[in-house]
Amino acid sequence: MQPTSSMNEQFLKKWQMGLQIFRPSIDNTSVSERKRAIKLSADVAMASLRKGTTCWSRALIQKAATEDSFLVRQMLAGIKEETLINRKLPKIVCHRKIVRRSKKILMRRKSRSAMEEVTAKAKKLVKRKTKGLRNVVPGGEFMSNNVLLIQETLDYIVSLQTQVNVMRSIVDAAEAGVER
Amino acid sequence: MSNRRSRQSSSALRISDDQMIDLVSKLCQLLPEIRERRRSDKVSASKVLHETCNYIRKLHREVDNLSDRLSQLLDAVDEDSHEASVIRSLLM
Repeated sequence: MQPTSSMNEQFLKKWQMGLQIFRPSIDNTSVSERKRAIKLSADVAMASLRKGTTCWSRALIQKAATEDSFLVRQMLAGIKEETLINRKLPKIVCHRKIVRRSKKILMRRKSRSAMEEVTAKAKKLVKRKTKGLRNVVPGGEFMSNNVLLIQETLDYIVSLQTQVNVMRSIVDAAEAGVER
Repeated sequence: MSNRRSRQSSSALRISDDQMIDLVSKLCQLLPEIRERRRSDKVSASKVLHETCNYIRKLHREVDNLSDRLSQLLDAVDEDSHEASVIRSLLM
């Protein structure tokens, strides 16, 4: 699974669109505001590639909309992702509590062998690490299922690689152009 | 009622174990740190997850750094200069 050249192209087009929307106000803004706009349009561009099919991309768009709903609306105008801006992500937190409770009851009933102890410890460690992952992947806190979490992570990483590759090429080229 | 629940959660655990192994191996292939290791080294699932977190954070930092550089480029360049038009043609 690698970022494809068509992903790179699509990302670049979307990102350019976002920057063009920001362009008129560029002379009146500070460097930090420009950086914010650059980063935000890059994130929305990356998320829109998934056309609302992944949890992380929907969460990222919603988060971006809270920071600059105008920019996000303009970037997604006419696409069905526009509806994502207002849709609330389902909170699955209460289901996790029920699963946790029923697992505790299960564990109490079983008698554990040494092998089971080791497996249980390993699972606990994995659980701690997936918690870290949930903090880093957008919308992670809504993914109660570990399988879903890792599937989303895989997709998120490939998209991030696309974002970084394209941004890096543009910035390197721009810096080289300025230095000459 | 409780029997059904216990049966469901235990079978859910069994399915996800196999899927987890498959997904974790896919993660391995994406992480540059782990890919570069010798094939003979086995990597634990928790190590892979840990490296994944680190990798994602690293990518976030790169995006932040690149946005920084770009915003400063746009600032440092004279509106009417040749460089400004280069950047504009690349980006806008």
